[in-house]
Amino acid sequence: MTKLGAAPISAPGWTAQPKEGVKIVDCDVHHNFERPEQLLPYLSRFWQNHLIDQGLHLPSAGYSNVPYRTNRSDLKDPGLKERDFNFTLEFMQREHLDPWNIDFALLTGPPPFYGYTGLPDPDWAAALCRAFNDWTIEHWLEKDERVVNAILISPSDPAQAVSEINRLADRPDTAAIMVPMGTSMPFGNRFYHPIWEACEEHGLPVIAHIGGGGGAARTTPTPVGFPTYYMESRMSRPFVASTHASSLICEGVFEKFPNLKFALTEAQQLWAVAVMWHMDSDWKAIRDQTPWLKRLPSEYFREHIRVGSQPMHEAETTEQLYQFLDMLHADETLVYCSDFPHFDWNDPVTTFPKLAPETQQRIFADNALEMLRIGDALR
Amino acid sequence: MTRVVIAKVWEIPPGGRKIVVPFRGRAGIGVFNVNGRLYALRNICPHKRGPLCTGELTGQIAADAPPSAYDSDLKVNGEGEVLRCPWHQWPFEIATGRCLVDPEVRVKTYPVRIDGNDIVVDLDD
Repeated sequence: MTKLGAAPISAPGWTAQPKEGVKIVDCDVHHNFERPEQLLPYLSRFWQNHLIDQGLHLPSAGYSNVPYRTNRSDLKDPGLKERDFNFTLEFMQREHLDPWNIDFALLTGPPPFYGYTGLPDPDWAAALCRAFNDWTIEHWLEKDERVVNAILISPSDPAQAVSEINRLADRPDTAAIMVPMGTSMPFGNRFYHPIWEACEEHGLPVIAHIGGGGGAARTTPTPVGFPTYYMESRMSRPFVASTHASSLICEGVFEKFPNLKFALTEAQQLWAVAVMWHMDSDWKAIRDQTPWLKRLPSEYFREHIRVGSQPMHEAETTEQLYQFLDMLHADETLVYCSDFPHFDWNDPVTTFPKLAPETQQRIFADNALEMLRIGDALR
Repeated sequence: MTRVVIAKVWEIPPGGRKIVVPFRGRAGIGVFNVNGRLYALRNICPHKRGPLCTGELTGQIAADAPPSAYDSDLKVNGEGEVLRCPWHQWPFEIATGRCLVDPEVRVKTYPVRIDGNDIVVDLDD
């Protein structure tokens, strides 16, 4: 079939704009392998046999998505099989990095793969992360300096996660670590602290993307069980994110690791305002239970926690959206995420109403540059 | 009125479409053949400016009652008459340009006709 004129219509006027410095850092760009067998060269002999015999066998909650495996249907390409997307850097360059003039794109891997957080065997999960990271290095990172990596780690075995961070931390294209939000314990739990310690030591922020569980690979996506439909499962995301955020604050993670930054992505944003407001009022009443917190919870939030901009709320009025960005302290907390190539992606042009230039620069570039470990020479 | 030839009639069979991008300095146009009738839509989604006409064809998915009620049939009415934007999946009725999930939203339509072997769109000047 012929390609159906897939070039983004909004893009040409956008890319024609002259610019100085870094204008767009996209903190959520999904790349993917075409076949699991592509990971074979990066697995040990034992795990190669395992993959050949068993496949990936990643757990999933079984929710449907939209047609075309969650992807934008305008990205169908005659050079690929009809349902294949984004398996090559060339595709990502042509369809996303070039037309939208993306300065840096943080690779976050394929969400179905995030099911590794729900694997009962932590060694298989860790082996998959290592293999995926090495495949990413060879096929994506070494070919385009706009592409930087959020290295995948498995939270189910912190010791192996730390080893993986130490193994790859010195690479200049390692900008962050990536962990799916679907876990069996919230991220503030001391079980995970060795991972956060390693991140802080290397100056790497944590990107926690919805998926794995929260998509229910390991636990129910809500505290009240399994909803029936995909849309309901999406509505549960803010609760997953707010649970992780309040856990990180209450357990004193940011007292213990004062330079750690932690982003929660693809879980909407309104929850963040609720967490800041509600925690501040509760803190005044019941701080005695967490006396190691020296500051208002919202102060920890604004200094350490970042919120992905996708999927951005579509408020009833533009004025409401401006108010919401103000309540969120978006100029400190919000980082632009496109979620390319998914159907619910947010393009750089129409996602927000016209912003003040300083706010635009904060949301689309500076908040991310201050969080990610991107070499100063590249800025 | 300006007469613009989009295609020869055999280029757009039933179920087919042709997209012209850009279209006279505009965002592009898509001409669809739905069950033998031709319709032309602007190739730009009024929601977030996505390339609407490159989307998937579908029908109106309908159910008279929740699945727990007496009638649990999920129907696909008018298959091929609805276009789903590839960005965010909003459905539009091709014949009218009407958005099926927001009555305030409509994509621009153009009159389209057959003139000999040509499929022609007449544009306001």
